[in-house]
Amino acid sequence: MGEAAPSEVTQVAAATSSQDPEVGLAAVAALRGLVEVLEALQVENARAKGWSWQQIAARLGVTKQAVHHKYAGRRFGFRRQQR
Amino acid sequence: MTQRSEHAQRVLDLARAEADRFGHRYLGPEHLVLGVLRDRGSGARRVLEAHGMNLAAARVQLRRLADRGLVPGPRPSDAELLDSLGIDLAMVRRSTERAFGGKALGWAIREATRARRRGVGRVPRTPLRDPPMLIGPVLYHAGEQARMLGAGEVGPELVLLGVVTDIRTPWPRCMDNRWRRQLHASVGLSKGYRGAAGFLLAALGVDLDRLQEAVLVELGGVQR
Repeated sequence: MGEAAPSEVTQVAAATSSQDPEVGLAAVAALRGLVEVLEALQVENARAKGWSWQQIAARLGVTKQAVHHKYAGRRFGFRRQQR
Repeated sequence: MTQRSEHAQRVLDLARAEADRFGHRYLGPEHLVLGVLRDRGSGARRVLEAHGMNLAAARVQLRRLADRGLVPGPRPSDAELLDSLGIDLAMVRRSTERAFGGKALGWAIREATRARRRGVGRVPRTPLRDPPMLIGPVLYHAGEQARMLGAGEVGPELVLLGVVTDIRTPWPRCMDNRWRRQLHASVGLSKGYRGAAGFLLAALGVDLDRLQEAVLVELGGVQR
């Protein structure tokens, strides 16, 4: 995510700042809905590959307590059920 | 639950198309009425037309309901919103499915939108899933009526009967929870939304008693 080309970043910044709130706020909400799903998918994948909470947290840029608090209670083991 | 017939599924698809047309990002009972009217050759449509309804008039009335604030006005779709940020939703979906598989994506969608006690990082809705179908009670009533009448599957007539029954039955209290309120708010519906089909039929001057009777007669005819 941090490696986005400058042009993309400015494009996003322009879109989020120049539009009227009606569209801008709704766009942010849609983006949040997208991000939460992708994050769950990535965290689950990392756990399945044996990553520790600490490692995951470091990549997400949060503390390990934060990521544990958010994901520890979830029904992981999607891959295990499949086997 | 009783299975839906292909015909009923077509009505649901048409209802979705109608919701899209109005820029509504959910599927409600009011759209089902329009779906029945748009569909060709169902007994349900004949009954509605016999009560003086037609698609054009119903659309006009639904637009008026939007002006009165009973249903939301047009809103951009998630794909359009994300496109305004330079994000191609179809591409995100495709690449995610390719990397993790559809099953894992489905799991992540459920996880992110599932009601959780702590509610951390929970979203009511995600662009990766179709707009919500707020017609649960309607389909429940349709299924119950099908069981009582001994119908094998739910057709358009039973869907219409479900809409009418839903209008006349207050929603159970379990339907009024935080999760549902958040979902309603996320598509621009007011807190007290319980389906707008009742308002729509009232605006079109339809008498619910007579409509229900007519649908039942139609169903009897279909069965014989």
